[in-house]
Amino acid sequence: MKAGSGQEKGIFAEFLPLIIMPVILVPLYFILPSKMMAAEILIMALPTLAFILLLGYTGLLHFGMGSIFAVGAYTAGILLARYQVHIFVAVVMGIAMSGVVSLVVGYFCIKRGGLIFSLLTLAFNQLIWFTIWQWKSLTGGPDGVLGIQRTGLDLGVFVINLKPTFNFFIFVLLFFILAYFFVARLIESPFGKVLMGMRESELRATAIGYNPETFKWIAFILSGLICGLGGSLFALHQEYVGEHLANWFTGGEIVMMALLGGVFVLPGALIGAGVFIFLVDFLNGFTALSKAGAWLLVMGVIFILLVMFLRGGIYGGAEKVYQILTRSRFSRHP
Amino acid sequence: MITIDVLLPQLFNGIQFGVLIALLATGLSLIFGMLGIINFAHGSLYMLGAYSVWTCMRMLNFPGNFWVGLVLTLASLGLVGLIIEKFLLQRMYGLPTVYQLLITFGLMLVIQQGVALVYGTAPLPLGIPSSFEGEINLGLLLYPTYRLFTMILGLATIFAVWFFIERSALGAVIRASAEDSETARTLGVNTRRVYTWTFALGSALAGLGGGLHAPLIGGLQHPIGTEILLICFMVVVIGGMGSIRGALLGGIILGVVRGMAGIVWAPASDFVMFAAMGLILLFRPQGLLGRGGTR
Repeated sequence: MKAGSGQEKGIFAEFLPLIIMPVILVPLYFILPSKMMAAEILIMALPTLAFILLLGYTGLLHFGMGSIFAVGAYTAGILLARYQVHIFVAVVMGIAMSGVVSLVVGYFCIKRGGLIFSLLTLAFNQLIWFTIWQWKSLTGGPDGVLGIQRTGLDLGVFVINLKPTFNFFIFVLLFFILAYFFVARLIESPFGKVLMGMRESELRATAIGYNPETFKWIAFILSGLICGLGGSLFALHQEYVGEHLANWFTGGEIVMMALLGGVFVLPGALIGAGVFIFLVDFLNGFTALSKAGAWLLVMGVIFILLVMFLRGGIYGGAEKVYQILTRSRFSRHP
Repeated sequence: MITIDVLLPQLFNGIQFGVLIALLATGLSLIFGMLGIINFAHGSLYMLGAYSVWTCMRMLNFPGNFWVGLVLTLASLGLVGLIIEKFLLQRMYGLPTVYQLLITFGLMLVIQQGVALVYGTAPLPLGIPSSFEGEINLGLLLYPTYRLFTMILGLATIFAVWFFIERSALGAVIRASAEDSETARTLGVNTRRVYTWTFALGSALAGLGGGLHAPLIGGLQHPIGTEILLICFMVVVIGGMGSIRGALLGGIILGVVRGMAGIVWAPASDFVMFAAMGLILLFRPQGLLGRGGTR
């Protein structure tokens, strides 16, 4: 049940997600208990998507997604709050900055494969958090970045107010679909095939003549760009950026989301982020659980059970159930 | 102006902290070398050790309760390790190592939040045990007795573990199982049991580290484990994974570098650790005493 075992598709099938996704996602906005939740799910699905690209398709467990996310959020937030730049400029700069940081961090991290890679991403995560914490003149240190406005999206002809939750949701949805489509195309491209080949056997990929380090590095940077997009949008979503974003725990949350949804398939990012955010909101509804972070205890138990019994996440589980159902039908008509 | 009076205590503190970290890193390294698992719950076990000593010292009110607490902590953390390996990790062997890392991550959350639930989130004060109060004259400086004690006990423990693994007959069985588990099994070694006991030993070492460090922390809080875990990871990257001597060397280097940088500018102490790790990665990716390879 590894990713990317799909067969050739027609042109229509390739663009199908572009049509299906809004049809599924727009109603989500109306169903969810809080009006901001839908946008938050889409935003958090972005770093999860980046994580899945690395773990599910490249075999790299990136534990420091939180810091890359925070770099995007801080870049966009600072530009918006202090320099009143155009919202698009802020988002693009957030993406670019996350890319640059990933470029540097990735250079060091891919030097060691396997589990040490994960440790290194974690260590760099702390370095970035620490920098944010200490560099008070730029980041506001423990106070964070305040005064981010998302009221006016100037499109030249007219100005859209992103303050209403529905407008902002559509704004995020457009970016999400763009990013999702980009990753979906990427893993189908020859580049994506090389990544998956390396995941299966690095030795064989090297023997064919691919340099695994270069490919891993590029995948690392690309995931950083997607994660940075998520961060930029998060700054707009919260209209505030705090140092807790760069805490390694944000990275841990992203890991949990990915495993919850399914780490070998791209829709896993959306399912995982959705279920995770909904579940956290639901658990925090009980006063007994929101005290002393007991909801985290529950999430930890769920996470352990997932890793032990349902490694494909919800998507993988659904797939298994579907297979069992279809198989039983065949057995009745031998 | 930095004088010798400032420098020397900092140097000693650096070494003392380094030995403590090395104690934890030894356990981490042992588990990695044997089971191929990076134990994210290691910091939580350290924290459990600290809380266990705190509990013992609260419950038992007689002189020498610290010693009893340490022994109980060693035993109970060993037991915790045993349970974790038997009921969680043993089901995970044969799967990609990523899953073992993830399961220890989940475990870390559960232990940490469990402790927060039981003990609350307010810092719990724990004083230096009465038998180790005061300072001792080392000729050049007056050094707190308790710190010296942790240094000596830590070094002795690391040496004992090293001797056990590298020189004893049972250690040879452990090393054989780590090197080539299939051949070891063919020769009649119960590798499954070796795994279990190695994990228990590593957990006990983490608990001992926590117990020893607890009186120096000031106030116990449940996140102490994650802070120390990250430093441990850096030590292991610097010293080389799977090597006890590497853990000791890496720990002391990091401890001293951290202490020295702290004199100049307090926030620098954390940056310097990262810089040390970055340099090692650039010029010696397998770590100072690492055996090479990417695992």
